[in-house]
Amino acid sequence: MKNYYVGRITSAIFTLFLIATITFFMMHAIPGGPFTRERQLPPEIEQAMLERYHLDDPLLVQYKDYMLGLLTFDMGPSFRERGRMVNDLIALKFPTSAKIGLIAVLCILALAIPLGIISALKQNRPIDYLVMFSATLGVTIPSFVIATVFAYIFAVRLGWVPALGLTSWKSYIGPVIALSGYSLSFVTRLTRSSMLEVLRQDYIRTARANGIPEWKVLFKHALKNALIPVVTYVGPMIAAIITGSFVVEKIFDLNGLGVYFVTAVEKRDYTMIMGTTVTYAAIYVVMVLLVDVAYSFIDPRIRLGKKRED
Amino acid sequence: MRKEDFEFVDSSLKQDKEQIRTSLTYWKDAWRRLKQNRLALVGLIAIILITLIAIFGPLFTAHTYREQDNDKINTTPALDIYQIDDGLFVYVSRQYRLFIVSEDGVLGDLLVNTETNVNLRYKTYEYNGEEITLDYSYKFSDDPEYKDIDFTFTYKDVETFEKHKTVLNKTYPFGTDQLGRDVMTRVFYGARISLTVALVATLVNLFIGVAYGAISGLEGGKVDNTMMRIVDIINSIPLLLYVILLMVMIDNRGLWTIIITLGSVYWVGMARLVRGQVLSLKNQEFVLAARMLGVSKGKTITKHLIPNALGPIIVSMTMMIPTAVFTESFLSFIGLGISAPTASWGTLANDALGGLELFPYQLFFPSLAIAITMLAFNFLGDGLRTALDPRLRKG
Repeated sequence: MKNYYVGRITSAIFTLFLIATITFFMMHAIPGGPFTRERQLPPEIEQAMLERYHLDDPLLVQYKDYMLGLLTFDMGPSFRERGRMVNDLIALKFPTSAKIGLIAVLCILALAIPLGIISALKQNRPIDYLVMFSATLGVTIPSFVIATVFAYIFAVRLGWVPALGLTSWKSYIGPVIALSGYSLSFVTRLTRSSMLEVLRQDYIRTARANGIPEWKVLFKHALKNALIPVVTYVGPMIAAIITGSFVVEKIFDLNGLGVYFVTAVEKRDYTMIMGTTVTYAAIYVVMVLLVDVAYSFIDPRIRLGKKRED
Repeated sequence: MRKEDFEFVDSSLKQDKEQIRTSLTYWKDAWRRLKQNRLALVGLIAIILITLIAIFGPLFTAHTYREQDNDKINTTPALDIYQIDDGLFVYVSRQYRLFIVSEDGVLGDLLVNTETNVNLRYKTYEYNGEEITLDYSYKFSDDPEYKDIDFTFTYKDVETFEKHKTVLNKTYPFGTDQLGRDVMTRVFYGARISLTVALVATLVNLFIGVAYGAISGLEGGKVDNTMMRIVDIINSIPLLLYVILLMVMIDNRGLWTIIITLGSVYWVGMARLVRGQVLSLKNQEFVLAARMLGVSKGKTITKHLIPNALGPIIVSMTMMIPTAVFTESFLSFIGLGISAPTASWGTLANDALGGLELFPYQLFFPSLAIAITMLAFNFLGDGLRTALDPRLRKG
């Protein structure tokens, strides 16, 4: 069991290292640099800028310096926001994304799993059709459409919620709906189908035959196994949602990490690209790790060192 | 009980009771079950229709996707027309451009604006040497008496304030965009681009995924271990970030860039699926027989393993296409996709954002197209999954 966790953690760290490396070299392969402007800078100034940020060093030296910095959680200065450190910028932007993201995640978990279970238990009844109909609709409408239509109807036309920014509790409604729409529908469908699958299995029939109360069969025996695919999906989903979505933050004009990543790429702000990617990757890797830990609780075979076959 | 009560059954009757059923192959059976699933059939028909529209639609519309008519910008799909003289109808756009329009909705010429008075909120236009005055101040008036009046027109000293009727725009059924391009043609044309991207990207994914998974599964041992380790690592990388970085890195916003990007990134799921299938198939007798007869590994994969794993592969493919449509529209929406004047549904939606308040139909049509496509593929995919699932196969 100990080996299992050690192995998982090692591979998580390795993945993180790999992501940082790939991003670093890909980013430098993007044409243009942080100081490429429409108007050519005088060569001396450009040279001075490059020296100031060590951009004239060989790429491998830059890589080594950056990775050493990363080890001490120092992500360097931003190239485009003068005088600000990437760490500070992320600390500034991340909370906005995380706040909305966490609310969205809670909404998803609180709604999708019960709805999926109800839908599976009442298979082919009106409530199942209703839930599945809305869930199918949810996965077919892109988040940018949900976000714009919401902003248009409720903020512009009806004026019920503020159109831009996060000024009152009402302004969270739109971003949360737009962020959670797709995943909410997806998790509902996933819970339903995996619950149906599990309920068909022999051990459930055995449990019922043994006279175990129905709620116990459902929640102790069936749900536990039915949640495995859900947990697999939810882990990475949380990472993606709490680090912000470009579309949602752009449409509702929120000052979060999602918008910042895309602007950083556009501006070739190297350290900022690295910073956002590494932050996202770190959260992502931690979530995947948590998923693995969750597996080992749900499925004891994994803890005993047997390989999971998917 | 007497013997006379019984009689011999004619032998032809006996035969009649014998159950005769033609044997069904896997695919025939799957098709039979798919046909019973009405939603899946609707999905299939919708996909065929969308494909036909994508291929032939732009050929049959009166306009091309890049043709701009600077006069007819932002005309709506439904026109409120006013009769200002006998047989003379006009339509005023939301930007107070005045058009001559026929009674059934064919859009005519834009009238020349001769005078604009912003303070008193009226505009005058010239038509055949006569003056038409459009008074749009009623919209801004708080007086409940004028609440039902949007505009008044004065032509040859006759004032018209009652809307004649609302007709559908015959010239541009989906209206025009901010550059005066026909939205319908652009949505049809967008279908071409979006579906091409999705289909080709899915095929690339399929090819890489199937080859990778099959080799990994068949080779087994160390090769399998290493190859699956790589898949694990790729799987633990947030892929959307790489799609964005790749798009910027290649820096040529063409069709191929986006196809290559999407195609090179999302094959991991397919590889896993195929490997799993191959693992369960490779120890079966027919594969062993083939191997024993000296069939090469490549041939074993293409002739024996893949045909037997085709069911799940097809299901996964039908689910991959809508995901690709989604990702493409997302990339185009954030400005990293297809560049103008080429249009995909994502770019159309993005273009519509600026004028959303006045012209929501410009967002509505491409969004509807995306939603219908997603829905159709989802229905078909769900249907195929049940139809091709061998556990649900009866007899």
